[in-house]
Amino acid sequence: MLKIKSLVSGYGSVQILNGANMKVDNQSIVALLGGNGTGKSTILKACSGIIRTWKGSINFNGEDIQNLPPHNIVEKGLVQVTQGKDVFPAMTVLENLRLGGFTLKSKQTLNDNIEKVFNYFPRLNERKSQLAATLSGGELQMLCIGRGLMSNPKMIMLDEPSAALAPQIVLDIFKNINKIRKDGLTVLVVEQNVRMALLLADYGYVIKDGVINVEGESKKLMYDESVKDSYLGGGGTTANV
Amino acid sequence: MFKGFKFTRKIENTLMLIFTFIFLGYISMSPDMNLESLKGVLIIGITVGIIYGLVAVGISLIYTGLDVVNFSHGEFFMLGAFTGLTVYNFLIDGELIYAIFPDAYGWVGYVIGLFFAFVIMGLFGVLIERVFLRPLTKKGGGYTVAGMGIIICGFGLSVVLLNLAYIIWNPTAHPFHADLGLPINIGGVTLPMTYLWMLVTGFTVAGALYFFLNKTKMGLGVRAVAHSKVISNLVGINVPLYISIIFGIACALAGLAGTLVGPTYQVVVYMGYIILLKAFASAVVGGFGSLPGAIVGGFTVGLFETSCAFFISGSHKDAYAFLLMIVVLLIKPTGFFGVQVKMKA
Repeated sequence: MLKIKSLVSGYGSVQILNGANMKVDNQSIVALLGGNGTGKSTILKACSGIIRTWKGSINFNGEDIQNLPPHNIVEKGLVQVTQGKDVFPAMTVLENLRLGGFTLKSKQTLNDNIEKVFNYFPRLNERKSQLAATLSGGELQMLCIGRGLMSNPKMIMLDEPSAALAPQIVLDIFKNINKIRKDGLTVLVVEQNVRMALLLADYGYVIKDGVINVEGESKKLMYDESVKDSYLGGGGTTANV
Repeated sequence: MFKGFKFTRKIENTLMLIFTFIFLGYISMSPDMNLESLKGVLIIGITVGIIYGLVAVGISLIYTGLDVVNFSHGEFFMLGAFTGLTVYNFLIDGELIYAIFPDAYGWVGYVIGLFFAFVIMGLFGVLIERVFLRPLTKKGGGYTVAGMGIIICGFGLSVVLLNLAYIIWNPTAHPFHADLGLPINIGGVTLPMTYLWMLVTGFTVAGALYFFLNKTKMGLGVRAVAHSKVISNLVGINVPLYISIIFGIACALAGLAGTLVGPTYQVVVYMGYIILLKAFASAVVGGFGSLPGAIVGGFTVGLFETSCAFFISGSHKDAYAFLLMIVVLLIKPTGFFGVQVKMKA
């Protein structure tokens, strides 16, 4: 579904990605792991068109999408979900969701999708007329994922869905991500919570210094000693929960 | 100063209230004070206020959308007034309007003038944004060095547009003889029709803007882009298009306000400069970047200015708006509807 070939990109004149290669299969969950500042989020931003691709190609569903304007990429069905704090705080939950479906043409689809999101996250239904600023951290993350689902995407890319959340809520969100995949979507998840991410995913990539360093089936990665030691903070210090 | 003393919102509000009472007490001691004059001041203050409000809303919209203060906004106001005047004169003096509608009144021409001022200034604003500001917003916008460029560009644009108007319409004052009918009497105050037009049109447009922003899909997009361009991109909004729309609406509002003011005063090339500063003061008083705040700030400045001019001294009329702005900045720096202060160029 998504093929990234020797992707080179960065911010301003600072190069972050030095030729990353990745592949995400249809209806799979793929985890992208790595420490701080290794370029995990940069890959997502290049895919969603927020930053320019300097070299290499990003292929989505057989089309090259590198350097397209971001709204065109959303229309093609590739949506990035940012961390929970990136909502519109002065708008209600419902308005936030409507914005997620901004590319939809018909009002009927919009309402259907809102129902669909409420099915995944019943908490949002309870809070639908509240301002987004009044939500808790977990609810904000649900809102962000829900907003990403609003535009009928084929694939969503999640940027650290577990960041700064209580373990119970993380579990709940990850269960929902699994449900979303079962309903036919492809998921790419960027995580620092390594153990959780590998439990969820089918396949994993570990990124270091802007290139993919290790890849493999997530079950194998979980017991890969070299991965544990070098990138996952040996002995599982960063991989608790 | 004092340990544990915090300048909270409550203290700010109390101080604002004290200032209001001192001010009201001061003007109530004026020898001109009576019910008649109070009514007149109230109506004229609100009328002037809605005009300041419309221009201030434009300034706030551009501030939230492009992250910069547009210093050429007064010139759009001036050009709008000239557009309205030209269209009106073309229709009425050329008797074109009577050729189409034999029984037409003067106000038909005025409405068409208002419409053209709104539409032409909107399109002109979009053109200016696309040609002059787009290369700068592409380089990073308000938070970066390019933001400084946009501000300087605004000053330059102001001078260029001023001189353009100077060439086309020459520097003399043009009277705007809008034939709107006889003055009417509202609650014992005789009001020229031009004031009534300002009031009614101003409130209608402000209401329409509220409806547009809160009830339509495009308005939702405008609010989203005003809050964050990155998230707007991610939900699939065409951000560059929406920045053009924001700039266009702001300029259209200024143009409309220009044509509304035209018949009451005169249409002159320099009229944009003072309204920019007054609208700026209104936006600050109401809370910079807040749209309801801009309208409320416009009313506050309009009422304060009119009552000071009437009850205290009319010869310093233009200074009162800034007096109020300074007081508000000292006591309540966020303004009435102040959103959290953001670092913007």
